[in-house]
Amino acid sequence: MAIPKAQRWLLVALVLSGAASAVSGSIDPYFLDVVMGVGVGVVLASSLNLINGFTGQFSLGHAGFMAVGAYTSAMLSTVVAPRMGWGAGALQWVFFPASLVAGGLVAALAGLAVGAPSLRLKGDYLAIVTLGFGEIIRVVLQNVDAVGGARGLTGVPTHTNLLWTFGTASLTVYTVWALLESTRGRGFLAVADDEVAAEAMGLDTTRYKITAFGIGSFFAGVAGGLYAHLKGYLNPGGFSFEKSIEIVVMVILGGMGRHAGVVFAAILLTLLPEGLRELGSRSIPNPFGGPAWSLDWIKDARMILYSLLLILLMLLRPEGLFHRRQPRRPSS
Amino acid sequence: MSASASLLQLTGVTIRFGGLTAVSSVTADVREGELAGLIGPNGAGKTTLFNLITGVYQPTDGRIDFAGSGTAGRRPFHLTGLGIARTFQNIRLFPSLSVAENVRVAFHRHLRHRAWHSILRGRAFLAEEAELAERALELLGIFNLERFRDAPARSLSYGDQRRLEIVRALATRPRLLLLDEPAAGMNPSEKDELMRLIRFVRDRFGLAVLLVEHDMKVVMGICERIHVLEYGRKIAEGSPAEIRADPKVIAAYLGD
Repeated sequence: MAIPKAQRWLLVALVLSGAASAVSGSIDPYFLDVVMGVGVGVVLASSLNLINGFTGQFSLGHAGFMAVGAYTSAMLSTVVAPRMGWGAGALQWVFFPASLVAGGLVAALAGLAVGAPSLRLKGDYLAIVTLGFGEIIRVVLQNVDAVGGARGLTGVPTHTNLLWTFGTASLTVYTVWALLESTRGRGFLAVADDEVAAEAMGLDTTRYKITAFGIGSFFAGVAGGLYAHLKGYLNPGGFSFEKSIEIVVMVILGGMGRHAGVVFAAILLTLLPEGLRELGSRSIPNPFGGPAWSLDWIKDARMILYSLLLILLMLLRPEGLFHRRQPRRPSS
Repeated sequence: MSASASLLQLTGVTIRFGGLTAVSSVTADVREGELAGLIGPNGAGKTTLFNLITGVYQPTDGRIDFAGSGTAGRRPFHLTGLGIARTFQNIRLFPSLSVAENVRVAFHRHLRHRAWHSILRGRAFLAEEAELAERALELLGIFNLERFRDAPARSLSYGDQRRLEIVRALATRPRLLLLDEPAAGMNPSEKDELMRLIRFVRDRFGLAVLLVEHDMKVVMGICERIHVLEYGRKIAEGSPAEIRADPKVIAAYLGD
């Protein structure tokens, strides 16, 4: 186990994010937006992987935790920041990260609040409770005028840049990896495998599950903050059940409890809709002469193609794209 | 600490599931360093008694004391920390962990590092991890399992999986080891080897063993004292010779 290497990788990732950020002025804004969306996706997928993949709990409320973090940090930026009288630099480099952490902490509190009472539930039942939580958050946000209600929250400063996005993504992946890569961390897998045996070996399974929920929702909250300051606008509709499903799909596709696989799936699934949109605006030359064939139909069929691709992948690789070790859950 | 001091003491332990009294007013004890057996026909309540001792169930009535303190209200992981370890009737290893990791996870109650140490990965953390890896290998080595250390736990043969369960239980550093039908599914030569192993474990680690077993050859062969259950009640207690001659035991097994 070459462990100090891990920290070196983290450092390299942070430096690269910083360097990319420094030259981001010359990058096409649409492209930049997509790339940062990828970073946010990686944070979301990796943090959910801790809960769903490694600890074996089925949470369907990740978008809810993301919303809590997004609204918390956005409110800090729109309500508190203007009264501080800070300069633009201080706002972006000091206030913004602090607001991300604050958003993460509030989301973690929400995670603990949901997790603690509902962790007696297993599988489908836990999924239903977390799903309900996500919906409650969305409906509350839709009806509270102070955060914009159904109109959404506008005027969020766009502080998010490549450094913050990929810095956070690297930190998330590193944290989840480092947490798991220890004797104590192996307990998460043991809890997922067999709770009765885990308790008999001295593991406090409830505490493991709450820890997973707390850390997972912390990073979901930070991802929400990044997202808010990336788009400059928040709408409760963006944190619906479908968003949670999207993140769950990333985790499943990446192969439940594979670090790299889930990162890869997050990148792929964030790029795919954009790629299809791009493809839809092209046309291919007609080999028989005459007008070129437009690929405009792809634009309309985008979501169908996306779903078909998922179905195909699940049929061909039910254990996810990556599975170096044996599938986590024996099918027998 | 004298050799005959009671490590585990059950006093009038009763558990009811609805109208069914699975274990009824059982009083028994296991002494320090003793090899004790628990036998009885199918459905006599042996595994239920194990689950009561390890905190999976709480007794409806009566009390259980371990090393001088009551275990009421304590959860299984806490009792493991106090020194009760067990194996399962149907093997329950962690299938997604390797053989060595199965053992390392069981060091949990004795870990010095906290979760955030694994994120900082400081010197002390790394030293402890290396030490634990070493200790896991050492334990596996005693049972000739070290060559499988990186293999997935479920790839082991049935007998090796049973032995790995014992290694894993030992990693929690127990004072009392509960073995639930360790000889199930073993052939005669494996059973002989298991008997040697249990004696060896008791001597080497200086712990008490309580063993549930159907195989009379194994029970009579290694146990110093045997408790007999029938329909949730204790009907006899004594040395193998006494148990073999006890008319109530003979009646329970052969019918009147």
